[in-house]
Amino acid sequence: MQESAYFDKYNPIDGVWDEMYGKNARVRDHYRKVIEYISGESADDLNKKEELARRLFMTQGITFTVYNSGEGIEKIFPFDIIPRIITGDEWAFVEKGIKQRLTALNLFIKDVYNNQFIINDGVVPIDIIYSCPHFLREMYQLQVPHDIYVHISGIDLIRDHDGTFYVLEDNLRTPSGVSYMLENREITKRLFPDLLPQCGVRSVTEYPNILYKNLLALSPRQIHNPTIVLLTPGIYNSAYFEHSTLARLMGVELVEGRDLVVNNHKVYMKTTIGLQQVDVIYRRVDDEYLDPLVFNPGSMLGVAGIMGAYRKGNVAIVNAVGTGVADDKAVYAYVPDMIKYYLNEEPILKNVPTHQLGNPDEREVVFKNINNMVIKKTNGSGGYGMLMGHAASEQEIDEYKLEVLKDPRNFIAQPTISLSSAPCYMQGELTPRRVDLRPYALFGPDGIEIVPGGLTRVALKQGSLVVNSSQGGGSKDTWVLA
Amino acid sequence: MLSRVAASFYWLSRYIERSDGMLRMLKINYASSQDTVQEFTWEPVVRIFAGSGSAEVSKLGNNGREVMKFMVTGKENPNSILNIITLARENARGVQEHISKDLWQCLNEYYHKVKDPRWDRALMREDPISVLDELIKQVMLYYGTLEITMERGEGRSFMNVGKYLERAIQSVDILDAKFGSASGNKELLTDTSYLKHLLLSLGGYELYLKTYREGFEAANVLEQVVLNNDFPRSVIYSVVHIQRYFDRLKNDSNLEDFRELSFQIGRLESRIRYSSVTSIEEEGLQRFLPHVRTELYGIGNSLNEHYFANS
Repeated sequence: MQESAYFDKYNPIDGVWDEMYGKNARVRDHYRKVIEYISGESADDLNKKEELARRLFMTQGITFTVYNSGEGIEKIFPFDIIPRIITGDEWAFVEKGIKQRLTALNLFIKDVYNNQFIINDGVVPIDIIYSCPHFLREMYQLQVPHDIYVHISGIDLIRDHDGTFYVLEDNLRTPSGVSYMLENREITKRLFPDLLPQCGVRSVTEYPNILYKNLLALSPRQIHNPTIVLLTPGIYNSAYFEHSTLARLMGVELVEGRDLVVNNHKVYMKTTIGLQQVDVIYRRVDDEYLDPLVFNPGSMLGVAGIMGAYRKGNVAIVNAVGTGVADDKAVYAYVPDMIKYYLNEEPILKNVPTHQLGNPDEREVVFKNINNMVIKKTNGSGGYGMLMGHAASEQEIDEYKLEVLKDPRNFIAQPTISLSSAPCYMQGELTPRRVDLRPYALFGPDGIEIVPGGLTRVALKQGSLVVNSSQGGGSKDTWVLA
Repeated sequence: MLSRVAASFYWLSRYIERSDGMLRMLKINYASSQDTVQEFTWEPVVRIFAGSGSAEVSKLGNNGREVMKFMVTGKENPNSILNIITLARENARGVQEHISKDLWQCLNEYYHKVKDPRWDRALMREDPISVLDELIKQVMLYYGTLEITMERGEGRSFMNVGKYLERAIQSVDILDAKFGSASGNKELLTDTSYLKHLLLSLGGYELYLKTYREGFEAANVLEQVVLNNDFPRSVIYSVVHIQRYFDRLKNDSNLEDFRELSFQIGRLESRIRYSSVTSIEEEGLQRFLPHVRTELYGIGNSLNEHYFANS
């Protein structure tokens, strides 16, 4: 095959798995059609596509606001036009792995809030659980419909230098970004007409329908038309666009805390024709803010008394409260053991080796090899509060060590895994940038379903390994081939 | 429908209607300021849409360019197009899943258009009519999109109640400012260009020419703007439409609230319907207009109390 000019200039990063660039400097088969397609386009054409994408995001209001000198500036979440492509085989493997992992995690949450077999059998140490800020005693022996806690999860996957998938994080609380999976696809349809069907890309549009079906099945009242709502913190939340998109796609009411009220352990929404009982709440408000009577008393985002209604079984909350205990970074290290304990299976997806800094021996090993380590806070997110050992200065390392020693339980360390790279279109050429993958799994009474696709986040800065949008990350459309 | 959502619909709609009225008013004012030999005054426009008395307003003086900038892009003016469209968009954002995607995109575009940094310069130095026209086009797009894509449900009824309430208030305000400010000056009321200008700013000039063959008379202008059922910016037309769309909100579970408001709207509607130019003149415009305005405000307050209640 005649390789294209874009491909010839492509410089893969040494020692990193590249999604497109295969052995002997050839395009991997599953990327071939896309590379052929863009070879027929001049840099000018591609720039125009980039501009079109930007305009589409802007007019659709898929923006977040950055407040600067008292004036809001609308920004779009950076989008790279070249899709990230996953083969059918890779996907089948990932799908199987996530289903297994999620099944175990869900059993674990049920267990820690009920009989605690896993603690009594000494598989997971008790102090790891009880010191976790997301372990909520309020959930003890609270029965949830169908024993499902994690209805929606976004497990982050990365690929090491040989292409092996690793789980980086289990996001089991209120994972965001799924609207970008949907919108990126809509925009790619416009950018590359006819290319999607030619490549045999599987559709992601079923996501809202599956989610709706699952929410419907959770209604405590056996009526034909239960009231399902999506609870948002409001229009100033950075994920508000996502909340309204999902509410629209599912045809459910989008509510704020002030729209709801609890009476006699039932939740109602205030409507123009009086109070209407609410059956299922897909909440995008964190546990801590959900009920000012039980958690943070200063919360204006939640609903007073909602936990009482929840305990009575008069309302279903999605995801269940207290799931954070299972995506704590210190608990993460025990997920392979959970899979063996609950399912008697070998884990399909690998964990990144994780050291507990609460353990003095492990801490010593980590501090010795700190240059090859990434140290994270166990309850941090958004890429904040991390130390990247290979890039930090002596002084930064020393300061961070002091920080760790103040409360070692709050930190874990992992060897630096070099995320895989994928081609991005930048200034007229293709250049490799690091990516991760977040597929969204939906757990309902009929089992776990994962729409073939997900969010590929990309570190747009050269050499960067941080894909978080708050730190200069962007996203790509994610194709799963049939 | 959620009370908060209903309130957002209502306010979204009021802001858009207000922006439409303001833009048209500014356009006609500017055009006639280019056409007048004697001293042209911007004072009524400022009074209607920005209130008077604040330091910023008095600083504007009679400088048309400054007035337009203040009214369109003025950040410090809470009622500038920029600020009310920002609010309209915020309301729309809060009900995004209730309005059609097309309508949201249209509003969003309007917002980005208003934010365009070029306008400041254009309003100060270039032809301001092209700026105003471009923005008016956005409003027309909004109304067209609404008409075609918006479901005929409760939401649209709240939007229409808001829209016609805003329009009625505007027409009353404009009449009050124009006839009120002229009341001490009988000469102005017989000044053809003054009356023509008033009609143009309400978009009623062509209809007037077709209805009245005997030239420009203050009484005829008053009749058209208050009592003409076929004139879409007339007070009676607006009030009839408030009534029509409010009636659609009738629901068995809140009959009491409904009746109370329905009574209020009906009372105002009959008050206007059974008036004539003669009866208004006998009563005195300076009594009639404030009375209608108070009733309109009362309807707004009752909606807030009975339908949008936020505790």
